[in-house]
Amino acid sequence: MKNKLSGFAVPYVIWMALFVVVPILIMVMYAFTTSDFYATAENFSRMGAYLSVFVRSFRLAVIATLVCLLIGYPMAYVMAKEGPGFQRMAMALIMLPMWMNFLLRTYSWMSILENNGLINQLFDRIGLFDLINHIGLAVASEPDKYIPITHFQMIGTSGAVVLGMVYNYLPFMILPIYSVIVKLDGSLLEAAHDLGASSVTVFRKVILPLSLPGVLSGVTMVFVPSVSTFAISRLLGGGTQMMLGDLIEQQFLGGAYNPHLGAAISMVMMVIVVVCMVVMNNFGEGEEQAVML
Amino acid sequence: MKKQRRAGSRLLMGLVFLFLYAPIFLLIVFSFNSGESSTVWQGFSLHWYKQLFHNRIIMESVYTTLLVSLLATVIATVVGTFAAIGLYSMKRRWRTPLLTINNIPMMNADIVTGVSLCLFFAAFFQGWRSFARWFNEAQDMMELPVRLTLGFATLLIAHIAFNIPYVILNVAPKLRQMDKNLVDAAQDLGCTWMQAFWKVILPEIKPGIVSGALIAFTMSIDDFVISYFTAGSATSTLAMTIYGMTKKRITPEINAISTLLFVTVLVLLLVKNMREIRLERQASRRPAFSPADDTASARVVRFSPDTRRTVKRIAAVAAICAIAAGMFTLGGAARSQRVVNVCSWGEYIDPELITQFEEQTGIRVNYQTAESNEALYSLLMSGGGDYDVIVPSDYMIAQLIEEDMLAELNYDNLPNFSLIDDRFKNLPYDPENKYTVPYAWGTVGIIYDRNKVDEELTSWSALYDDKYAGDVLLINNSRDAFGIALKYLGYSVNTTDEAQIREAYALVADAMERNVFQGKVMDEVFQKMEGGNAAIATYYAGDYLSMVDNQADNVDLAFSIPEEGSNWFVDAMCVLKEASNYEEAHEWINFIASTEANLANMDYIWYASPNTTALEQYPAYYEELYEEPLDPEVYEIMAAPQEVLDRCELYVSLPPKIRALYNDLWITLGI
Repeated sequence: MKNKLSGFAVPYVIWMALFVVVPILIMVMYAFTTSDFYATAENFSRMGAYLSVFVRSFRLAVIATLVCLLIGYPMAYVMAKEGPGFQRMAMALIMLPMWMNFLLRTYSWMSILENNGLINQLFDRIGLFDLINHIGLAVASEPDKYIPITHFQMIGTSGAVVLGMVYNYLPFMILPIYSVIVKLDGSLLEAAHDLGASSVTVFRKVILPLSLPGVLSGVTMVFVPSVSTFAISRLLGGGTQMMLGDLIEQQFLGGAYNPHLGAAISMVMMVIVVVCMVVMNNFGEGEEQAVML
Repeated sequence: MKKQRRAGSRLLMGLVFLFLYAPIFLLIVFSFNSGESSTVWQGFSLHWYKQLFHNRIIMESVYTTLLVSLLATVIATVVGTFAAIGLYSMKRRWRTPLLTINNIPMMNADIVTGVSLCLFFAAFFQGWRSFARWFNEAQDMMELPVRLTLGFATLLIAHIAFNIPYVILNVAPKLRQMDKNLVDAAQDLGCTWMQAFWKVILPEIKPGIVSGALIAFTMSIDDFVISYFTAGSATSTLAMTIYGMTKKRITPEINAISTLLFVTVLVLLLVKNMREIRLERQASRRPAFSPADDTASARVVRFSPDTRRTVKRIAAVAAICAIAAGMFTLGGAARSQRVVNVCSWGEYIDPELITQFEEQTGIRVNYQTAESNEALYSLLMSGGGDYDVIVPSDYMIAQLIEEDMLAELNYDNLPNFSLIDDRFKNLPYDPENKYTVPYAWGTVGIIYDRNKVDEELTSWSALYDDKYAGDVLLINNSRDAFGIALKYLGYSVNTTDEAQIREAYALVADAMERNVFQGKVMDEVFQKMEGGNAAIATYYAGDYLSMVDNQADNVDLAFSIPEEGSNWFVDAMCVLKEASNYEEAHEWINFIASTEANLANMDYIWYASPNTTALEQYPAYYEELYEEPLDPEVYEIMAAPQEVLDRCELYVSLPPKIRALYNDLWITLGI
């Protein structure tokens, strides 16, 4: 009977070979060829010029992941402490924004952060800029040269890009952590308390290690889309914060057609991400089910 | 102490939810705005909701999104469930590597999946083309289509491909939890393995299947990146439509559709939660029921599973029928109706003209836009652009002709070509005029906000000036950005001298370094300049005029063509060599070249027309339409007089080596 059932997987294995393995092989082939399909490693040697894009992408993605963790962990923790009805509602509320396309939500931030956007308008209304200009004029050594400010520059900065990432991917951090914490065995905590551990110790020695799989899958789920995004950096970074995703998109559908270079960059990114993930999974036994929401 | 902690945790949750929902709330509020702004409240109205249902592009993309998500979910759930069962009955030696491969699409960044699929489809189409040619020649019983393009089918395949792993991931743990002996027991008791599957395995893993399907559906709906690389130009999901719009002006219709989607999901979630809570309450109350009640509820319980199942079956059948009907109408419409696929620039046609043309000829117009000439070229090369008519600019036309991508036109079917002014015929990009019919022409100039710039700008130097740091918008295509720098430095825009180009690059890069530029924009320039979010931009004369039309109260835009000179351009309609609707393409081009269409277009897009009569008559046309004379200054900006054109240069196609240099420098600039 075993063999009969394992036959169920055959169509999918063929499917995987066709639409998962072959495309990646083709990508690798593109990465190692010129536009006339001669073998070359030039695509990789040229990549040194884009080092700063790699650095920026990874830096911003790491920051965004950390911020998500700092907000997401406490959030998941306190959520798990609430009553079951409340928990269900909170879960639904966290999932809900995902049903609205992330571009819409990002676009909404654009109108908030623009130079003439809602935040700057609000500051202007309450007279913050006037206040700053008064103080600025008073302390300026050369009052003639003082340029009064009319807005804070928020859009087009790396901060805006990080904000966009945190906003869009925060649910991916909260949900896996929550699903692990909520399943923690209450008697374990009781036992720890009974054996004289303080709340802090219980958290440090029991809750935190046990919730690590959730944290790991949360980190993965935030980091990977962050490092490869192009829409967020394009909308909120105004094209000045070029990330790996933008670089790749430019080579395929953007202003500088070169799919071979694009494939090479994609490949390098893929390798780095996989290596990061393997290293991370060695920290804690990455548990599959934690990825499930 | 405990209360305090509780208050603290509630506060935290409140703040997180505020952070998550404030932007959504804003979107919803501004869907009821009577004006077009997304930052200034101009009064309540349901106008955008009414508009929404007339917006074919949005409605079609919503339909595509729902259809592709539903189909992908259903297929992925079925395939994924069987695959999970199959995988878990395999020996570990086989299972482990297969599961690792299964995880690839989830581990990979979306963009890598998208790119690899995009390349795969391109390679497959190439292979198919040779096969179909050979096959068609070898026999004449049936004719295989030679040309395949990205479209709904590839989009669906991509969605299924990234959905299946999620289904497997959700079903697998349920399979692991299931007692393997159950299946054996069932078979020992006389079940066939088919029965064992339906009666034992399926009910056990049902929760996993349901949650897998739900996640698959969510992922499909939320996806943008993979769709972007695999859908091609003719199919567009809602996310792609929105992305296209964020580059121009987002209309509040988008706010309206997102509000509707949001409310739908919210209601569904509330209903589901309420029901669950009610069921739980009932369950906890049941022991207290009186015997009479008990029998009543027992009866309900006895009947309800059957009824529920019937209802479910009917619903499932109805859903399948609806999907099938949708597919058929979609496919049928595509086959029976004549179509023409047009790709042009954003805000570059009077939409009325499309409707008129469709009514006159019965030919359906699929109208798409590309961002820039370079982006259009990328799209064509990567097999994503299934167009018949394109409207590139001069230098790109020359390049496309050089690469043998354009079809020669049949001017016998284009009588309106004779109406085009001789000035715009036989230009250097198409010396014998075999491939093109001019669409519009204009100049590139400097656009600035008088409220932010207190001088007349007559030099490009303002673009690189620290004085306006953070307030200048750089045009987001290599040819224009470097061309302007070359002009400023006193060189020709068509120079092939590498040193001069590098000098131009250094100028722009240096300004970039000093943070003079707020961003790189193409059509985003509209909302940036109109809303007073930047002081200076470089853009096209016609677009300046339409910005003036839409500028906010505290914005006062001005335009000038700097002394150093600039670029003047001609955009012309061409037909692609691979066009599948050659005849329809000619009908469209001829229609657009007519004087009436040119007048309407000129009035809508504010670009000068190449049609002699239309160009001359426009001031009179304007006066008749708006009952006030056209400001001669405006007319001069539209149709630059000869002495201005003398200062400007037309781009010519650059040799491949210089083009590669432009590309390299452009990418380096972005870093």
